[in-house]
Formats: sequence, C-alpha cells, structure tokens
Amino acid sequence: MVKGSCLCGSVAFSLTGKMRDIIACHCTQCRKQSGHFWAATSVAERDLNLESKKGLTWFRASDKINRGFCENCGSTLFYKPDAEARIVVSAGCLENGSGLNISRHAFIADKGDYYEIADDLPTHDQFTGIENE
Amino acid sequence: MNRGSCLCGDVTYTVVGDVMGASVCHCSQCRKQSGHVWSSGHAPEQLVKISGNVSWCEASTTAKRGFCARCGSFLFWKAHDEDTMSFSLGSLEKPTGVKLEKHIFTADKGDYYEINDGVPKK
Repeated sequence: MVKGSCLCGSVAFSLTGKMRDIIACHCTQCRKQSGHFWAATSVAERDLNLESKKGLTWFRASDKINRGFCENCGSTLFYKPDAEARIVVSAGCLENGSGLNISRHAFIADKGDYYEIADDLPTHDQFTGIENE
Repeated sequence: MNRGSCLCGDVTYTVVGDVMGASVCHCSQCRKQSGHVWSSGHAPEQLVKISGNVSWCEASTTAKRGFCARCGSFLFWKAHDEDTMSFSLGSLEKPTGVKLEKHIFTADKGDYYEINDGVPKK
C-alpha cells in the first residue's frame, strides 16, 4: 500500500493493488495544469481509497475526461477517463517508497521548448495503449 | 513579451521583459502541488499582469501559491518579502525563449526519478 495526499492535506488517499509504472506526460493539458510536465501512476478505480476528500474538485477537461485537484491548495491529483475503470494518480503526491519509477515519456511532440528530455527512457508522440494497463 | 494561461483559460497573464531564474523545484511542497516537479521563472511583480480568478494558498508563512480556481492549474508563487512574482513555465505559450538554468531543492526530490539532464543542481 502507498499513501498520498495533496499539499494541504484535505485530500488524502491510499493505493492498493497493482500500480502501473509512472508515465511522464508532456501534453499541453498536463503541462498547463502541473506547471511543468506531469508524472503519474494508474490503478484500478476500486484500488483508490479516499480517506479524506474535503477539497477534491473535478474539472471537466474534455468530453471524455475529468481532472481532479484540491480546491484549497490547487494540488494536481487525479485524471479519470470516463470509459475506463481506472484512475491516474500524481506521482508527486505519493509518499516515497512506492517502488515505482518513471518508465517512459508520452506526448513528447507537445513538450515545452525550455527543457530537454535527456534520459534513455522510451518516448512516444502520443499514448500507445500501455497507459491502460 | 510572454503570455501564459491555465488549462481552462480562465486565468491569463503577461510578462513584460526577461523571464529570469528558470528553474525546476523539487521541494516537497512543489512536488505535491504540481503532481511531479514545478518549473518556474520570475519577473518583477509589476511586470506580471494577471487576470482571472486566482485562488491563493499559504502553505507556509513566507509565501503564497496561486492556482486557477476552476481547473486547478498551479500558476504562481510569491514570497511575501520579495517584489518578484514566479510563474510556471508550463503555462507559457511557445516559443518561450526560456532555457532551464537550475534544479533547486534537490535534496527533497522524489524517489521515482533521477535528475540527469545536465542542468546544474543548486
């Protein structure tokens, strides 16, 4: 089990079950919301246990997706595709010790122009399907 | 002049003059709020013109953190005793004309990534 929370603590949760390796997403939506690029794992929806959700607010980012954040502190927390029984969870909100690592970069065609991707991890112009695992 | 906006477009801003101090912050506050790490630059406060509904969070007594009330985009950081405003580099329109200069608070970094892009660590 891995615990996580927003900056102010009004959203707190734990993850159980299988956690997908972390994907770094460089799409424009993730860059604008996070402020750089976003790194996130993914779990089955039933494996996200919300222990506190006082500040949790959902923004309808497209006709298929909600993005969850804390309305008190603005922490970027979740990404929920309507059509899938999984939820994507910020890596930065997790306590250390998850055992997860960034495994790949997605949407690199949309990356910012002020940084380089310098590691040797696989890169993808969009998503490839592995994000659905 | 640089222009920036949040994900939903409710908050927009302009920066007149140079974007200074382009950095990636690995402190635990920025990691929680951004969801990974936060990149920012700064300019004198009077040269950063903000419009729209910004919510401010005071996570410590020394600074406030600004985000869009509607979509949650983490946009601004302002120290109470400084006359500069920091803004996220991810919210700037391309081309930004900005290059990262440093990684900061690297002692607090997350354990799921390495910093190996050659940008100096401070």
